Amino acid sequence: MTDLKLYKTIDATSENCAGPIGELSSALNDAYVGEAVAIILGDDATRDDILVWAKRTGNEVVENTSEEGRHRLVLKKVK
Amino acid sequence: MKNVLVAGGGLGGTIVANRIAQKLSNEIENGEASVTVFDKSDMHFYQPGFLLVSMGAMEPQDTQIMERSVLDRRVKFLSGDSGSITKIDADNRSLTTADGKSHGYDQLVLSTGSHLQFDEIPGFAAGADTFFNLEKAKEMWQKVRSFEGGKIVVDTAMMPHKCPVAPLEITLMLDDYFRKKGIRDKVQIDYCYPVPGVFGIPNVNKMMTKIFAERGINVHSQFALASVDTSARKITSKEGESVDYDLLVSIPPHKGAQVIGDSGLGDRRNWVSTDKFTLLVKGHDDIHAMGDTTDIAISKAGSTADYESYVVSHNVAAEVAGTGGMKTYPGSVFCFIATGMDQATYIKFDYSHPPVPPTPSQVYWWSKLAYNKLYWSLHARTMI
Repeated sequence: MTDLKLYKTIDATSENCAGPIGELSSALNDAYVGEAVAIILGDDATRDDILVWAKRTGNEVVENTSEEGRHRLVLKKVK
Repeated sequence: MKNVLVAGGGLGGTIVANRIAQKLSNEIENGEASVTVFDKSDMHFYQPGFLLVSMGAMEPQDTQIMERSVLDRRVKFLSGDSGSITKIDADNRSLTTADGKSHGYDQLVLSTGSHLQFDEIPGFAAGADTFFNLEKAKEMWQKVRSFEGGKIVVDTAMMPHKCPVAPLEITLMLDDYFRKKGIRDKVQIDYCYPVPGVFGIPNVNKMMTKIFAERGINVHSQFALASVDTSARKITSKEGESVDYDLLVSIPPHKGAQVIGDSGLGDRRNWVSTDKFTLLVKGHDDIHAMGDTTDIAISKAGSTADYESYVVSHNVAAEVAGTGGMKTYPGSVFCFIATGMDQATYIKFDYSHPPVPPTPSQVYWWSKLAYNKLYWSLHARTMI
């Protein structure tokens, strides 16, 4: 984790039309293989959706933490 | 003399410049401040109108007007090479234009927008129709009106893009157009979307998924566009799915302005890293960003820029006049969503309150059209 380059951190705790997965997929599209994108989420359901999405798209979840009702996921682009 | 420079004369730049000029009218009249808008084009386009042009519901000439005519008389306007910004030097608080001149600023507003990338996806430029610029919207209407049957695919290439509800709107307008024409049974409509569902906000996704099912629209999601094969007339996704088409209506990839990247102010897609509340560019207390320009996870929509203009104009004027007191942006967004050729709904939300779209009706459709008319006379000139 210490050697992982974080391309971007997305604050997805608020409503937006692209949705958290839309923002995340865009950032991962622009990240280089081996880089990671962090996303901050405000609810459990979205976190669960992203965990399913990450598995389906082959992006590796390297961090999954929660604090004061907010979740932080870090996804590494592997291909 | 304090110089306020506004980069970009689209909807956001125009409205914010007018609001700043109104707030600094005394300072401008006394020669203590100036407000200048920079844009390569001397035309102002009402981009939300392009959707209606592509369906024959708005005349192309009604979507454009000379930029000077909607700017407050106290705002200076530079266009052509004089208004085309080639570099922003944040360290020295200046920008350079294509005519070689340098312009210093005390406060800078970035409203340089989002820009269509037709060449990012193989085959896209040759194979896809779109309504995201005026010329292509006019071309699309000719194809729609002469379409006698076959398969129409509405595809969103990638996120984010301006006017996020536009894919929903064009799909439901096409459906209704061919129903009213009496040939809907000869037209198959497929909807390809790059993330799960048909829209990113759960409430809206739920409502629209139900409407799509009732209207017989086939959904392919997630479907992230990888290529367009113009000879075989099919599109292929990164997930490996292929969909054939007779008419491909697609939302192209978007990027921020090239000058943002050239000036080291953006990420790899040239979106500017911006504080979601203050709308200040991160790391700069004299550069504000608004509208499509920012990397904020909010809708890239005209209403977003409009709501943001109240905050940015207040904060810029407060800095220039020395009155202090920063305002913050609560994340307000409002968008009509056409659900046919004579009905619509809307979404209104902010950072803390999700939208609850009402049942579609003709009232909202006519409200949408009325707003388009009022934009030039009232809104762009910031009469409201």
